[in-house]
Amino acid sequence: MAGQFEIVGMRETAQVEPEQKKKWYEGKPVVSIAVLVLIVTGCLACSLITTKDPSYLDLKNYNVPPNQEFLFGTDTMGRDIFSMVWYGGRISLFIGIVSMVISTVIAVIYGTVSACAPAWADHLLMRFTEIFLSVPGLLLVIFLQAALGEANVLSLSFVIGITGWMSISKVIRTEVRRLRNSEYVIASRCMGGSFFHILWRHLAPNFVSPVMFMVVMNVRSAIVAESTLSFMGIGLPVEVISWGSMLSLAEKALLSNSWWMILIPGAFLVVTLLCITNLGNYLRRNVNRQERNL
Amino acid sequence: MPELLEVKNLSVSFDTPGGIVQAVRDVSFSLRAGETLAVVGESGCGKSVLCKSIMKLLPPSASIRSGSILVKGADITGYRERDMQMLRGKLFSMILQDPLTALNPVMPVGGQIAEAVKVLKPKISKAELKARVVELLTLVGIDRPEERMKMYPCHFSGGMRQRIVLAAALAGNPDILFADEPTTALDVTIQAQILSLLGSIQKELHTAVIFVTHDLGIVKRIADRVAVMYAGKIIETGTAEEILTDPRHPYTWGLLQSLPSCSKGKDTLYTIPGMPPALINLPKGDAFACRNAYALGIDYEEEPPMFRVTDTHYAATWLLDPRAPETDAGLVCCGDHTPKPPDGSSENISKNNAIQNTRYCPARAVYSEIGAEHLYKNTETVDAEVDKNDKHGEILLDVQHLSRTFSIAKKLSVNAVDDVSFQIRRGEIFGLVGESGSGKSTVARCIMNICRPSGRGTGNVKRHVKLQEGLHKAAGKHPDAAADIRTREAPGTGEMRPGRILYKGVDIWDGRQFRANKRMLGTTRQIIFQDSNSSLNPRMKVCDIIAEPMKIWNITPPRGSHRAEAGFQMHYVGLDASCLDKYPAELSGGQRQRVAIARALAMEPELLVADEPVAALDVSIQAQIVNLFRHLQKEHGFSFLFIAHDLAMVEFLCDRVGVMYQGRLVETGTVGEVFANPRHEYTKKLLSAMQRDIFPQTRNKRQ
Amino acid sequence: MRHKIIYVILSIFLLSVMVFYMARLAPGDPLASYYGDRAEKMSPKERKWAEDKLGLNDPVTVQYVRWLDRAFHGDFGISYKYKMDVMEVIRERMGNTLLLGGIGFFLTFGLSLLLGVLCTWHEDRMLDRVICKVGTVTSCIPEFWLSLVLILIFAVNLKWLPSSGAYTIGKEDDTADRIWHLILPMTVVVLGHLWYYAYMVRNKLLEEVRADYVLLARVKGIGKRSIMFRHCLRNILPSYLSIMAVSVPHILGGTYIVEMVFSYPGLGTLSYESARYQDYNLLMVLCLMSGSLVILCNMAAQAISEKIDPGITHTE
Repeated sequence: MAGQFEIVGMRETAQVEPEQKKKWYEGKPVVSIAVLVLIVTGCLACSLITTKDPSYLDLKNYNVPPNQEFLFGTDTMGRDIFSMVWYGGRISLFIGIVSMVISTVIAVIYGTVSACAPAWADHLLMRFTEIFLSVPGLLLVIFLQAALGEANVLSLSFVIGITGWMSISKVIRTEVRRLRNSEYVIASRCMGGSFFHILWRHLAPNFVSPVMFMVVMNVRSAIVAESTLSFMGIGLPVEVISWGSMLSLAEKALLSNSWWMILIPGAFLVVTLLCITNLGNYLRRNVNRQERNL
Repeated sequence: MPELLEVKNLSVSFDTPGGIVQAVRDVSFSLRAGETLAVVGESGCGKSVLCKSIMKLLPPSASIRSGSILVKGADITGYRERDMQMLRGKLFSMILQDPLTALNPVMPVGGQIAEAVKVLKPKISKAELKARVVELLTLVGIDRPEERMKMYPCHFSGGMRQRIVLAAALAGNPDILFADEPTTALDVTIQAQILSLLGSIQKELHTAVIFVTHDLGIVKRIADRVAVMYAGKIIETGTAEEILTDPRHPYTWGLLQSLPSCSKGKDTLYTIPGMPPALINLPKGDAFACRNAYALGIDYEEEPPMFRVTDTHYAATWLLDPRAPETDAGLVCCGDHTPKPPDGSSENISKNNAIQNTRYCPARAVYSEIGAEHLYKNTETVDAEVDKNDKHGEILLDVQHLSRTFSIAKKLSVNAVDDVSFQIRRGEIFGLVGESGSGKSTVARCIMNICRPSGRGTGNVKRHVKLQEGLHKAAGKHPDAAADIRTREAPGTGEMRPGRILYKGVDIWDGRQFRANKRMLGTTRQIIFQDSNSSLNPRMKVCDIIAEPMKIWNITPPRGSHRAEAGFQMHYVGLDASCLDKYPAELSGGQRQRVAIARALAMEPELLVADEPVAALDVSIQAQIVNLFRHLQKEHGFSFLFIAHDLAMVEFLCDRVGVMYQGRLVETGTVGEVFANPRHEYTKKLLSAMQRDIFPQTRNKRQ
Repeated sequence: MRHKIIYVILSIFLLSVMVFYMARLAPGDPLASYYGDRAEKMSPKERKWAEDKLGLNDPVTVQYVRWLDRAFHGDFGISYKYKMDVMEVIRERMGNTLLLGGIGFFLTFGLSLLLGVLCTWHEDRMLDRVICKVGTVTSCIPEFWLSLVLILIFAVNLKWLPSSGAYTIGKEDDTADRIWHLILPMTVVVLGHLWYYAYMVRNKLLEEVRADYVLLARVKGIGKRSIMFRHCLRNILPSYLSIMAVSVPHILGGTYIVEMVFSYPGLGTLSYESARYQDYNLLMVLCLMSGSLVILCNMAAQAISEKIDPGITHTE
């Protein structure tokens, strides 16, 4: 007891680290990733999991509702929807990714150039994108598709890619501007860092996160664009199976009330898009976690 | 008659993902009408939370765990939002720390005040409402109120906005005014004005004020009573006089000693080592024990209760227990009992210095050392050294007639820097002070080749009218303040160049000379920015950040690998090697600033430019960083341009000082000269705003 | 002000050049839309005559100048497909699209504000979470598929609502019938865009309720509800308005698809046809109309935000 009232001065006290109650998977879109992986592997391995040729026109069994043999039924031309969904998914995802690559490349170059250009050029470039944006995207696609003639997978990706870069390039421009004026870039310039040093060490790593979000969202909008175009009959023809072209038979399906022809490919489409969206939202970080005042 | 406000055993906690944060623990105090209570403590000690919890303004994650709040005898603890709405504005009101964000940017200021009036008197007529707004604006010292009430917050300077916030807070004639660090975000001269305004209004309206601050220096001016908070608890409370002259808690001793004016004539600023604890999982016993040189054994076991000193003065420290040893004046020199910090701890150099200098030196003993006659004792010796340097020291940096103009609109431009000339010698610490917007940072940026000098100096370019008006207002309603500026000899007429900057004789804005000396300029000049948060790349690890300049110039690290070198530099600035693999976001503000310093020092610079390196930090951390600068400068001997708005820091650290006002360098000289005998009006104003009067006065009273 | 007018005129001019050249350079047979199937059977001589008649043989620039000249006199030419004055064709369809797009736009606008406020008010509580989840799902459903599903459920199976058209033939002036036909397309137009904007409002409001001035307003004794509406909402309006204005083509593009699925006689189906069948004159006017609308909306947005936000005029 006596020792308690002696001066002992500062002592290292163990600072109890706040326990992390979070599990590794918390806050991550685990379900979305799992479903997405499932769909993508299914599409890649479509020849393994399907038993029927998706393009075979089984004229005896057309417009059959889902049953033991045709898991998802057949369409008005007698094709097996179960195989078509997986084969079609492959095409849809492929178009989504290819056009994403095209528009991202254009957007990154255009946005970076615009951000680094002198004020007047920047102004001009941005006005140009505004005018581009003022033409409804669909019309633009129709023009281009008409110019390229009969659509195939590559030309369609190209058209979608080339019409989808404007909004990303705007984001990239503002992002580059912001980064360019950030103090760590100035600090690096003070130290004598060369342009490429700054680009590689400072700009690129900080750039990735916001652009990743845009990129993922771009895959989504490309898939939507493909399906919409094919549905309208200006995208892929009915013979080339994709989720969109499968749905272009919907008009006939409506007449015969064949719900499976509309709901099944559409459900695949929507679930894929939803997973991609969740993934994108995860990539875009939550910054403001301050407490609210209201 | 019941007390106006009585808080009994209040505990508030936040439910966060990391655990339960006990922000306020068992706090009791009371407040009488017209009285001023100062709540003092480092940030993160629960002062703001205390105010907000009384007004029930806390976010949903916070809850009052226990205790009660009585207003005029009525218990409001269980009041719902609707009931509280009736009380807010009328009974109590608050002014916030940052006037720049406290006003709605898209609403005219008059409207924001009128809103507050209307809440209380919904049926007020338009004319009456206007009259009341005008009255309030006049009350807080804003002239031409009819005109001003239609303007938006962006048209006002920080000080003016704080006045408007005050007007809005006073709209309902509240009985209690909470002032949550209302002057921290303001310039020194403005701080003084706001404080005196608060004082006069309080007298006029007989409002009780709870003044939250981390600066004990302010307390003397305004407070009747003081409550010192630490880790969510009030650890000492008493009248202002008692706390300032007879503090009992070691934490209060520490706070008093860390006032810059208290360290005058010492090598290092006193700092309380370490940081306030995170309020999650508090350690057993007294939360302050691990920073307390006088900690008793029992402090690590049990939390001390409140001990009574006098009827008004209480303190929670075991030192007041009858069983505790005497620690007062008699113990000052007992060096043999010096407790040693445990080995292997992460204590850093400056921290140790600070401890050794001040250990066993209770605040009371400090006073005797500080008298007006001692004020410049030490700085004079420094001056003598500088004089020697003047004769022998080589001029490292020579800024000649530097000007920099920013164009705001087509025909309007601001001379951010206007014909500034000064020199820095080898091994000299030059301080550049001035209020925000006076062009200090622009000078630094010009020196570092970040922004190019432009414009031609005075007379040729019209200053931006609105800006100037704002500055005048900010400078305290002296529209003719500009006339005070000393007229200088006109710069060479017809000279088109916006000045020159010679660094080691190289004109750094001359393209050819710059390219020829690129490596020298890049390696021997380094800069430290104000906001370490944005000057460190958030995606680089600390070791990469520190090694970056070496990688840029392909310098073989003297200690083998880049990583080893980074580790060494970190140790040097007092950081733990465990931080090497962390990202800047995982470090605290002080630690980040240390990383920035380590990065600058890794190159062994000859000139270090620091642009307000401590302004964004907490006061106690500020002192730690300034100590570090002083220590490093002594070892390295680099020349140092230190930019700050805090005069006390400059006085402590610098050899020579330059005062900037509205883009011009209005006064230069050694620290001793300028501080003892300021010539320019603005410098005088700055100096008078420094709270330097606190100790001599208390001394007189004691005698 | 003068700058703005010049900018509008210049933009519209540029747009017309772009569309004109793009349309002419695209392969395809404009004669097919004029003469229908007969175009394929024409002899080269007949073809030449027909092309001369429509002025298609001159260099594109000459064609453009001619078009511009006529346009200045209010003559935009005839539609190849409908063999009518272009303006006439458009006038017929305009009302339908304005009805669908306009009401859809304002519904989206209002509902997303409402949802945004609701979510912010209940941040991180049950209602907010449910709305966010449902919203994310709806934002992922392509419009055409949503239309199909709604038709499948409400028109084909339940037979509650009509599946196509703007009115029942013979009941052109019956308002109730029109509304009847509008329900499904309107639902799709609104649902297709709602969450995108509501989420934006939510994010902006969440930032706003964390601002210091909210705290000061509460200190003054103002109720939470009026802080939300008089301060927070008011502060996000300028940016929201400009976003909404910029989004006009977005929503317009949406109505195009909806119009097609529901065979709704509006400008959407018309533009689609004119682009597919090289109905040049019609296409030009449609593009210019939508383009000018976008540009004007942009200007309006800017004007509004300048009016509300005093900061903008001073930072520029």
